[in-house]
Amino acid sequence: MYEEPYKWVEAVGNRRTYLDEQFKEGAPVVGVTCERGILLMTMSKGTPKLYEIYDRLALGGMGHPADLEKLRFNLLEMAHVEGFNRSASDVTGGRLVKYGMAPTIKQAFEEVFKAPFIVKILLAEIGQKAGKDGFLTINYDGTFEEKSQYAVLAATSAVEQKMAGYLREQSRASLADAVGTAIRTWAVGDRAQRRVLDEGEGHDEARTSQVTDAETLYAYLRRCIAEKTVECALLDRHVQGPSKYRALGVDELKTLLPNELSPSLS
Amino acid sequence: MGMQSDFYQLLKEQGHVFGVPSQTARGQELTTATTILAFKYRDGVLVAGDRRATAGNMVMYDRTDKVLEIDRHSVMAIAGVPATAYEMARILEHSFKYFRRTQLQELSFEGKLRALSKLLKDNVPAALAGTGAVVPIFAGYDLEQEVAKIYFYDILGAEFEGVDYAVSGSGSPTIRGILHYVNTWGEQPLSAMPEEQATVQALRLLTSAAEFDSATGGVNREAGLYPVIKFITASGVRTMPDAQLKPLFETKVSRHV
Repeated sequence: MYEEPYKWVEAVGNRRTYLDEQFKEGAPVVGVTCERGILLMTMSKGTPKLYEIYDRLALGGMGHPADLEKLRFNLLEMAHVEGFNRSASDVTGGRLVKYGMAPTIKQAFEEVFKAPFIVKILLAEIGQKAGKDGFLTINYDGTFEEKSQYAVLAATSAVEQKMAGYLREQSRASLADAVGTAIRTWAVGDRAQRRVLDEGEGHDEARTSQVTDAETLYAYLRRCIAEKTVECALLDRHVQGPSKYRALGVDELKTLLPNELSPSLS
Repeated sequence: MGMQSDFYQLLKEQGHVFGVPSQTARGQELTTATTILAFKYRDGVLVAGDRRATAGNMVMYDRTDKVLEIDRHSVMAIAGVPATAYEMARILEHSFKYFRRTQLQELSFEGKLRALSKLLKDNVPAALAGTGAVVPIFAGYDLEQEVAKIYFYDILGAEFEGVDYAVSGSGSPTIRGILHYVNTWGEQPLSAMPEEQATVQALRLLTSAAEFDSATGGVNREAGLYPVIKFITASGVRTMPDAQLKPLFETKVSRHV
């Protein structure tokens, strides 16, 4: 039935609609650079969404946990075999994404008889020197983008733009600044997504403006923290040894979160 | 579907071959590396090794590092054929990282020991052919039991726990006796020694090994070459810098020889 080109295009179009639907309730992911390194932040229920991939690489994802897990293993396998056969510095985000991950995801997306990967991926890479840090984001159809200062994942590109627009204006010099900025940006995205859910398809939330003063965002975040877990991971330039990834524990997060939020963290 | 946690298995599936004997190497003088030791001191485990690599009666290299940090809490010290030993260290390092990152938890200390045993076992054909014998010491901090441990191996992969200390390499017969003597009849047992005293002890032991074993390199003060000494404690692995070894050697070791 898909032999005709038109039908294939139609089927791929249907996939987009189907996939867009799957991300509606997903939690956004935020990545920002700061003096200390790269911070990744999200909120999750149960399964974690931030992972260590290699010495200088970390992963944040949205979508189906089983698909994310499958791709995470692919990345880990590629990175470690490459790191073993060549060297750690040959394991770069660019190579993993361009020659490994993106073609796999694109193929699955276009093979209309098989299930696509329900994932969006953010790969953060800390450089040997400050200023060489970078991000790669991959969409469910295999398209990828490279960014340098920050990157976000959200249900739609309109929400992502909204988050990026907010993030751009915020300070992210110190680690505490970055944590505050990341969590507020997350709130901007999550709130926009939820508004679309509540008000139905017709409401183009991302286009309309919404109050983004810190106090409103903190009030929203306090409600989220009550039912979800704040996840923060850092590619820490100051860590001794080759592996730079570390998850921020509750105690450390309490000291880094804005005062308006830290008491609500348990 | 398996647990997908075994990096060594993954390498094998990718066509990586390890431990194959090479008959053509017979009659060649192979590079080997020599005296290594580990003992428990007050705060954890000290692991030390001299820096010489030899091929027959030739000194190949005088800056070999035989005390290899595998991860934040474990160290493998190597005696035997460095080519094989470095490959083993590389496999272990990646195996432990791969396990931690895929399974989202550290590989247990037991699991780490087992990983090294498996490599040694696969290496038996090469070891017996005379082209790749490695006799390592593995020391680390067991985070579950909160205690530092030492293990040593034979070339077939059998693992033995060194309760107080372990030695390996061509210079080891010399220092094994000294370690026993110091530990049993010394002013205090090795396990009570503070870091500085333990370091002095290690320097003296390696200097003694170099005295009687030509394949062990002692301290070369003109070239500023000191043994590699690492400490493993609850907070991880730390290397004693040469700048600290130098004054200790000059005041506490050289005046005795």
